[in-house]
Amino acid sequence: MSETRALVEIDSVSKRFTPSVSIGERIAAWLGSPIDTRTVHAVDAVSFDIRKGEVLGLVGESGCGKSTLGRVIAGIHPPSNGSAMIDGLAVMGSGSKPLKTTTRIQMVFQDPFASLDPRVRIGETISEGPLAHQLVSRADARAYVTRWLLAVGLPAEAAERFPHQFSGGQRQRVAIARALAMQPDVLVCDEPVASLDVSIQAQIINLFLKLRRELGLTMLFISHDLGVVRHISDRVAIMYLGRIVELGPTPAIFANPRHPYTRALLDSVPKLVTGSDELVTFKPIQGELPSPLSPPSGCHFHLRCPFAQARCSTEPPQLDGRHHAVSCHFPLSDGE
Amino acid sequence: MSSQLLEVAGLTTRFETRSGALNAVEDVSFSVAEGEIVGLVGESGSGKSVTGFSILGLIDPPGRIVSGSVKLNGRELVGLSHADLRSMRGREIAMVFQDPSATLNPVLTIGTQMRLAIAAHESLSEAAATARCIDVLTIVGIPDAGRRIEAYPHQFSGGMRQRVAIAIALLNRPKLIICDEPTTALDVSIQAQILTEMKSLAARLGTAMIWISHDLATVSSVASRLLVMYAGRLIETGPIAAVLRQPHHPYTKGLLNSLPGVAEPGQDLVQIPGSMPSLVNLPEGCSFRPRCTHAQEDCTLLPAFATDGDRAFRCHHPLNLPVSASEARP
Amino acid sequence: MDRSTPLARFWDEFRTNRVALVALGVVLLISALAIAAPLISPQNPYDLANLVLMDARRPPGFVGSKGFTHWLGTDAQGRDLLSAILYGLRISIQIGLIAGAIAFALGATLGTFAAFLGGRIEALIMRIIDLQLSFPAILLALVLAALLGQGKWPLITALVTAQYAYFARTAHGAASTERSKDYVDAALSTPLKASRVVFRHILPNCLPPLIVVATVQVANSIALEATLSFLGLGLPVTEPSLGMLISNGFQYMLSGRYWISIYPGVALIILIVAINLVGDQVRDQLNPRLKR
Repeated sequence: MSETRALVEIDSVSKRFTPSVSIGERIAAWLGSPIDTRTVHAVDAVSFDIRKGEVLGLVGESGCGKSTLGRVIAGIHPPSNGSAMIDGLAVMGSGSKPLKTTTRIQMVFQDPFASLDPRVRIGETISEGPLAHQLVSRADARAYVTRWLLAVGLPAEAAERFPHQFSGGQRQRVAIARALAMQPDVLVCDEPVASLDVSIQAQIINLFLKLRRELGLTMLFISHDLGVVRHISDRVAIMYLGRIVELGPTPAIFANPRHPYTRALLDSVPKLVTGSDELVTFKPIQGELPSPLSPPSGCHFHLRCPFAQARCSTEPPQLDGRHHAVSCHFPLSDGE
Repeated sequence: MSSQLLEVAGLTTRFETRSGALNAVEDVSFSVAEGEIVGLVGESGSGKSVTGFSILGLIDPPGRIVSGSVKLNGRELVGLSHADLRSMRGREIAMVFQDPSATLNPVLTIGTQMRLAIAAHESLSEAAATARCIDVLTIVGIPDAGRRIEAYPHQFSGGMRQRVAIAIALLNRPKLIICDEPTTALDVSIQAQILTEMKSLAARLGTAMIWISHDLATVSSVASRLLVMYAGRLIETGPIAAVLRQPHHPYTKGLLNSLPGVAEPGQDLVQIPGSMPSLVNLPEGCSFRPRCTHAQEDCTLLPAFATDGDRAFRCHHPLNLPVSASEARP
Repeated sequence: MDRSTPLARFWDEFRTNRVALVALGVVLLISALAIAAPLISPQNPYDLANLVLMDARRPPGFVGSKGFTHWLGTDAQGRDLLSAILYGLRISIQIGLIAGAIAFALGATLGTFAAFLGGRIEALIMRIIDLQLSFPAILLALVLAALLGQGKWPLITALVTAQYAYFARTAHGAASTERSKDYVDAALSTPLKASRVVFRHILPNCLPPLIVVATVQVANSIALEATLSFLGLGLPVTEPSLGMLISNGFQYMLSGRYWISIYPGVALIILIVAINLVGDQVRDQLNPRLKR
């Protein structure tokens, strides 16, 4: 296998949600009541690679499809089109009810209050996956759980307790231990620090950094928080209404954003103001995020874009560029 | 110096819970001048929201205000009857919540809700009330307000709903608006729009605001003064830029240092060890002591809230203090 | 830190309601009496050799020819009513519990799997259940009891058929909510087998509403069993349940021999009311909307 080969390949993955119409709704429709059967294109032909040992940040506002994409990659939802592959093997099997076929990609969720089963003790939460996949024997399970609890900074006694006995930060540690106990190569983290307090957030980010150094983890780090993403990622992908609009090395994205949306997003982030007479000015993006039910034609951003021209409303741009890719007909030039 | 609009002194709000009594807010004193935006920052459980509710008299059993005073333009609010509080709310102090759907009634048009909010405080003709509603909606940046006024809350996006909630807060021209995490649930691009508008609103209408948030950066872009709370107590106050540049309390400093962006990308963040203690079982003395790297033996005694010019802090071993001031400290 | 298990916390809260606590005591006492019926009852009411026709239809307090006092009187065959009630309770509780347990297992499994699998399978299962719920349970049980004949198992089959749909409906509702929670997604991304996700994760989290339904349905199946027996479609005459005792005494009601019907009826009412009181408290405790 060549060295340049990516560990994770996302090949034009799309995910559509079509509302299922029940018999009752059909009758209502027949009687004249309007029903919504429009399809949501949550993820629209997204392609990118994650190299071994790399942390890729995926940034976007709510409703842009970043969580859905994360769940497709983690094998929770099957993609409607395209495929997510690890080492050239699809994450999901095929068929009408496809199942996840690999344990090499694991996921950490945003809300540790929801992602841990409240009725299962921590020890079982961590050990049930490894036991089911014979990563550890029943006899060694206890020691195995202890090892992972210690790795995420929790005491061994935590195994005997229930999730409600822990704080948010500690629960997120448990969730990380559960994912790591499957000995994955890739970790998909969906807003793993968004619901935590600032001081706890720093602890969990440090834990990710430590685990990455020690285990050589490859990560897809999904977040809306540009500061966190900037800190932890090697490369960053910016997503808008189901499409990747810009993808490049973290320093390049933050120093020289080439897509107008990326630039506007960076300008919207409140910064810590420490000069007493410093004037705070935002250049807020005009307007609101369009509904993903009826995205604008052409470039999805053209209605809010200060640089939009006639071509932008008809022809969707392609993600272009090897090192620092951008999907825009009129990208901002470097150093502007 | 402008006159003080709101003066809170020694406010303590206690909750009786199954596991014991706890002071969600303890001995909190601060003031808000007319037209001033004050940022109130803390982590969850710090008592920042309860402080806001206490000012409005919105504390229900098992909670109650056990001591202290809240004065609005010199008039004591603690101990007012429910009826008096109700007539004060909305007219003199209004509140904007994190989740606008909690404020908006889903089955009434926003016009109806707004007219009801006006009618609660003054009798105005239908036309005059509607005109004022449209006025206020335009002020908060809702396009085509005259038509949108007959829409239902679900027909607005999240950002627009929050604008409507702000418009309702502005309806009766209150002197003070308490904003409890008003932009936390919103996307950064929408947050930026609302922050910009709130700031210019405060300047234009002369409305004072208490901006409650967990996010220092957001607060620093709107507020001129900062209050930091930890485990129910106010631990540091002062002009926001000065506090952020040279925090006196180790917790404030810890919060600032733990922000991504302080450390080099990829390097460990400077974290505060441990987590906030349970309010039922607070450590003796300074509640930050178990997590504080500067803690010494005398920290087992609760430090007084010491004033130093326009700054104040509750710490025995403050940081960044000029030597003379540090010695002059009581 | 709160180290208690969920069960311990549940019990702590349950204890605060005196009425429910007394009701639970009554349920446990009746159950204990019913279990111990062969040891404590003065007479074996099923042993025809024990019955003396001379002692038939005697009022409460009558000292029978065998030398012991019939505290609650005797029925038309000369059975000691106290013994008959204890044995009848034994049968009623037994049948109620067995039918309840089978209906619970069947309904909960069907409902949870329907919610987990979704799509056509879900629609098919749930429509069948809706269809069945639109018939009165008593009608369904009557038809089945008539078709299957007399005996314990035909009766249980009839009761299960009449009741599993309630469990399935409840389980489906709860499981649909649980299905969308992150811990299920976490289990799917591990990945764990569907059966493990359903039985170890989704089903235990659906238990609160199911337990509420279970308490009500055990009481209902005891009542339904009594009804069927009263109508002569239940157990054979040689093993009289409470319903049949009431039925047997019914013809003597107007001739003043009230005790043959009334006392088994009172026993039945006390049992069902007590179970329902326990169920009410369990429901209040498990309903998040009523949480104070």
